[in-house]
Amino acid sequence: MSENNMEATTSTPVAAPEATEATDGAQATSIRRARAPRKPKKNQIPIGMLVVLGMVVVGIVLASRSSNLGFFWMTGGIFGFILQKSRFCFTASMRDPVISGSTSVTRAVLIAFAVTTIMFTAIKYGAASMGLPIPGSSYVVPISFATVVGAFIFGVGMVIAGGCASGTLMRVGEGFTMQWLSLLFFVVGSLIGAAHFGWWKENFIVHGPSIFLPDHFGWMGAVVLQLLVIALLYRAAMLWQKKKMGTDE
Amino acid sequence: MAEFALDCLGEACPVPLMKTEKKMAEMAVGDVLVVNIDHSCAMKNIPEWARKQGHNVEIEEVDDGEWEVIIEKTK
Repeated sequence: MSENNMEATTSTPVAAPEATEATDGAQATSIRRARAPRKPKKNQIPIGMLVVLGMVVVGIVLASRSSNLGFFWMTGGIFGFILQKSRFCFTASMRDPVISGSTSVTRAVLIAFAVTTIMFTAIKYGAASMGLPIPGSSYVVPISFATVVGAFIFGVGMVIAGGCASGTLMRVGEGFTMQWLSLLFFVVGSLIGAAHFGWWKENFIVHGPSIFLPDHFGWMGAVVLQLLVIALLYRAAMLWQKKKMGTDE
Repeated sequence: MAEFALDCLGEACPVPLMKTEKKMAEMAVGDVLVVNIDHSCAMKNIPEWARKQGHNVEIEEVDDGEWEVIIEKTK
């Protein structure tokens, strides 16, 4: 597969910023080799415009039925767009440190956690200080052996499937056909899990302690504690990458 | 100065990255590897890995949702 003989020219370096170490010597810095011309890409922008228009119409219809539905439709669309464009991936955040030693996605997730910690505390504290029920309290569920088992199964599954829940959905939309299969079995697995949930609940979940940090440390203490843990994890992620890859960028 | 191709079309993350790592290990300095991918996640982690290793990297979107990552082994 050596279809290159356009080396010699030392002019016009188009190299990547990190390019050319001493080992490169005098050879050309562009690494692109001659290749057959390609068929032109189809322009997707008109289709994209139509899809956006369609989404707006559907959003208006939904909002006229219930303002919540319209809001969910909008945030869902925005979330998917950002997820796709940023290539944000929870799977990679847990997997890449082990496989390649890179923790850049891990640190991105930690930053996201830090931001949501602050925002959710603001929402919850706002409600609590006005004497309203704290939103999202139903998600404060007991920690038990079921958490460990579930996390382990989910971890194995997401690495094999090449994406977590949000990542799989995003790539289904992108048109990565293998992940359509993932989605199918994601649904199958969820159904099996739902069918067995009663057993786990009876035997493990009800015996576990349920912890809401502000109850134990106060609102300020909970935020500080959580941010501190995130900061330590961030530092650990940097050191891990430094050790594995020799750079902590 | 050989050029190698690695077909990872249809492979989900992290398979393309692991294949690339393996292939790069058996190449000589100055060789070029062209990795074909269509999993958006690999579009991020292969170039990132290769750049952090100090190799020269270029990315080309050859079709919608299909990329070629061109890596020159520098060490």
